Amino acid sequence: MMPQPSPPIVEFHDVTVAYGGRPVLWNVDLAIEQACLFGVIGPNGAGKSTLLKAALGLVPVVGGYVRFFGTSLSRVRGRVGYVPQRETVDWDFPVNVMDVVLMGTYGRLGWLARPGRRERALALECLDRVGLADVATRQIGRLSGGQQQRVFLARALAQQADVYLFDEPLAGVDARSQERIFGVLAALRDAGRLVIVVHHDLRMAVAWFDRVALLDMRLVAAGPTQEVLTPEHLRRAYAGRVELLDELGRAVAERGRTA
Amino acid sequence: MTASFAGVPCLAVAFPATGLAYNTLVVLVAVATVGCAGGVVGTLALLRKRPLLGDAAAHATLVGAAAIVLLTGRRDLPTLLTGAAASSFAALCLLALIRRCTRTRDDAATAILIGVSFGAGVSVVTWMMARGLPGSGTIEQLLLGHAAAVTARDATLLAAVALATVLVVAATLKETVAVAFDAAFAAAGGWPVGLIDNAVTALVVLMVVVGLPTAGGVLVSALLVIPPVAARQWTERVGPLLVLAGLVGLASAVLGVLASIAWPGLPTGPAVVLSAALICLVSILGAPGRGLVARRWRERELVRRWAAGRLTEEGLALERGLHEPWGLAAGPSITVPESRRP
Amino acid sequence: MNEAAGWMLPDAGHLAFHAWSMATAAAFSAACALVGSFLVVRRMSLLGDAIAHAVLPGIAIGALAGGQLGGPLVIGGAVAAALLTAWSTRLLRTAAGLAEDAGAGVVFTTMFAAGVVIVTLAAARVDLDPECVLFGSLELVAFDLMSIGRLMMPRATVSAVAMLALVAVAIGATWRWQVFTAFDTPAACVVGVPVAAVTALLLTATAVATVGGFEAVGAVLVVSMLVVPAAAAELLVHRMHRVVAVAIALAVVAACLGWLAAWACNTNAAGMIAVVLGGMYGLAALVAPVDGVLPRAAAGINLAWRVAREDWLAQIWRAQEELGGGRAVPRPMPRSLLERAAVWWLWLVGQVEDRGGLVRLSVAGRREAETVVRSHRLWEAWLGRHADLPLDHLHPPAEWVEHHLGAAVRQRIEAEMAGGPDPHGREIPPESG
Repeated sequence: MMPQPSPPIVEFHDVTVAYGGRPVLWNVDLAIEQACLFGVIGPNGAGKSTLLKAALGLVPVVGGYVRFFGTSLSRVRGRVGYVPQRETVDWDFPVNVMDVVLMGTYGRLGWLARPGRRERALALECLDRVGLADVATRQIGRLSGGQQQRVFLARALAQQADVYLFDEPLAGVDARSQERIFGVLAALRDAGRLVIVVHHDLRMAVAWFDRVALLDMRLVAAGPTQEVLTPEHLRRAYAGRVELLDELGRAVAERGRTA
Repeated sequence: MTASFAGVPCLAVAFPATGLAYNTLVVLVAVATVGCAGGVVGTLALLRKRPLLGDAAAHATLVGAAAIVLLTGRRDLPTLLTGAAASSFAALCLLALIRRCTRTRDDAATAILIGVSFGAGVSVVTWMMARGLPGSGTIEQLLLGHAAAVTARDATLLAAVALATVLVVAATLKETVAVAFDAAFAAAGGWPVGLIDNAVTALVVLMVVVGLPTAGGVLVSALLVIPPVAARQWTERVGPLLVLAGLVGLASAVLGVLASIAWPGLPTGPAVVLSAALICLVSILGAPGRGLVARRWRERELVRRWAAGRLTEEGLALERGLHEPWGLAAGPSITVPESRRP
Repeated sequence: MNEAAGWMLPDAGHLAFHAWSMATAAAFSAACALVGSFLVVRRMSLLGDAIAHAVLPGIAIGALAGGQLGGPLVIGGAVAAALLTAWSTRLLRTAAGLAEDAGAGVVFTTMFAAGVVIVTLAAARVDLDPECVLFGSLELVAFDLMSIGRLMMPRATVSAVAMLALVAVAIGATWRWQVFTAFDTPAACVVGVPVAAVTALLLTATAVATVGGFEAVGAVLVVSMLVVPAAAAELLVHRMHRVVAVAIALAVVAACLGWLAAWACNTNAAGMIAVVLGGMYGLAALVAPVDGVLPRAAAGINLAWRVAREDWLAQIWRAQEELGGGRAVPRPMPRSLLERAAVWWLWLVGQVEDRGGLVRLSVAGRREAETVVRSHRLWEAWLGRHADLPLDHLHPPAEWVEHHLGAAVRQRIEAEMAGGPDPHGREIPPESG
């Protein structure tokens, strides 16, 4: 008998996502079997962030499904870490760096429990890994953009997940922080974690990611970086063909409203 | 003018007089608990970026209080407050519904709820008064508050509810703060964001309702907004912020009550609000770190160091950025005079 | 009160009382709706709310200084209070990093408290009834008359109409600037529109409108008149001048209805006007064309109904295609109530012919089915070429898109595919009729 193949770590099956009745991501079919640095690449408005949000159940999926480790997200939440875009939070919020990193441990703690000494030690270690241990008590607004992104990274590390989803972790970040962040991501990969990164810059993608998915409202291609980022695929992703999907999306929203 | 001078001896007389002192004590306890718990709960609403939740809830209490008197014929405090709580929670649910189902923007939806629910309340109360129905006077007291009418039993009830509220806030602080700071991250981690939001809303409603008899519906919302804003100037952490907001609420309650004793005719509710506003003003001006004065002084110091050549251009920008998390454009920028440039 | 209204015929006295009250309320509501439209569009509703509360101390101080509840001192006080509110809200944002709504919350609660204190303390000295200032008494306006030339008019009506005229002139004169600033403030700024002055004018107009009838309506209830008609109008129409027109119309109607309802129920007129406005808003939210709750629900049901019909037709078409030669096929089993209804309907309108358990499409049914199948296969073909999807994953998306593909999109896809079969090797039916 053949050994039972283990399910893919993340599987998108025919996923279609719509905002307000208007599809923005069409029929994405993607399975990631092994731990690697996985880039999600595509032009503006291609639905890259939407893909991550759909995976996490933050936006409703109108067709298809997403599975982690062959099961639904709610069963394996503890194994999935998420880093949203930096602009989504208010950086004047009255918390310090340590508080934010500790939030990464809340999922494991459950209701009512308070982070204790063990969680603090873990948070400090995570901060050390991103090189921010010396600013642990600083208010989060008093950090540079790159440092803020690294705080988010440390929070994700504190989740101790097996799969990490990063939404544009390198946007608006200085070169030194970029190197540092990428170093941490690579270390995660080497430790056997799957790291999925939404990224907009093609040049870096070639150098950094093991595998990529090229996205433009639908999946153009996915696989090892060198095989995917071919001129033919790039032309299909970045040339103007999105028009049709755009138009159709509008038609769907319109018909749902007035038909 | 004369009133303020007369106030001092009045205060001195008020306390030794046995009957007055007891009543004063009851009022003081009631108002202080409301102020304290209001500050704590208001902080949650402020952190969740819904500072006017309390205002909307406060305006919606009137119609419920009136309706329940009409329906049950009873007009004791618990009954009134039950009705008030029901209608203001319903109003906030309606607000959520408007947000979800229509194109109307958040601010307009809030204003609509405030105006319409209050209009409905005023109509019902006026109708009851015109008919000479019992209880309408009591309801009207809820509007502007009538601290002097609070009995010891009421005060105990208020204190119990306020204490319970503060305990609930303390117990679920981790969850509420996580949701307020980064709802997407919390949702991705499996926390029920909607449920936690509703819990905060329920707490706000509870605080508003509890505050009604002392501060009055129209002014209790102030106690949910002003103390947290004042406290925010002094600290950068949530824990101390909650404690400070509670203390500011408490202090303004005590100040307001004392002022209204010292100055006959001064209504207690507004006096408490004005005391809170005074503390808020002082905080915004004088707090170290975030206060206006401190920031002006720091900026001046930076520019001086820069002008003396001890700070590079980048250093200046960096230092400014570190102390003005909400963005440079917002701060009072001091342009360096040409003559002092290095 | 009879001698006050005695200048009219006794029979007409009653009528005049209603007319004056309604005219006052209508003029006041119209002025509020006019400025409110801009406040709502500019997302300054809460500032409107704040101003409505915050004019109280201005009015009180003005009344104290002038010795009467009206006149330029009161208006001046109200405008000053409104500008102070807007300015300090702004200051709280820039100086303390406070969000707009939190800042407004701090300022107007403080101002309102100050107002209540002044009104309460001064009630003894000047005729300033706290209740009247807060909740208004529209039923009293017809008894406080003043003479304009030979005509006796209620003082409040004159004041409300004057304020309406003032506000209308101010907004009308700066109409284009107001609209431009409301639509895109940075762009207006770049083009050279004096944005700060335009905004200040709007805020001043808000204060003036608010003050025009606060004794009739009360300070607190002004909020609903500022925001609700405009919010309702915004749901119904989409261009600025229409929003303003509809808002004013709604406000006037609500003022009259509210007054009559209050009179009938013997209650507070301002409160009833607010309630009527709330009802109007609720109605607008329900029935607004396209975006309303009911039209959306109807569209959803309509879509489900169309999908059920089209799916049924396509199913029979495919079965007939497999059998070949347009022969009748065994009737498939409908799976849901909706499908059952669709089957019955299609038979009724003659798109499907049913003979003893064997069904086949009529000419009309065939045409519709072909459009659906054509959409389906075209989409499969397009996806097969453009998306990285395995062959067996093409059917489900097409099953959904087939109901949405318009003729124009179908043509574009066909042009791109240049004929040929779908990815499964089946023929794509041509565009019919």
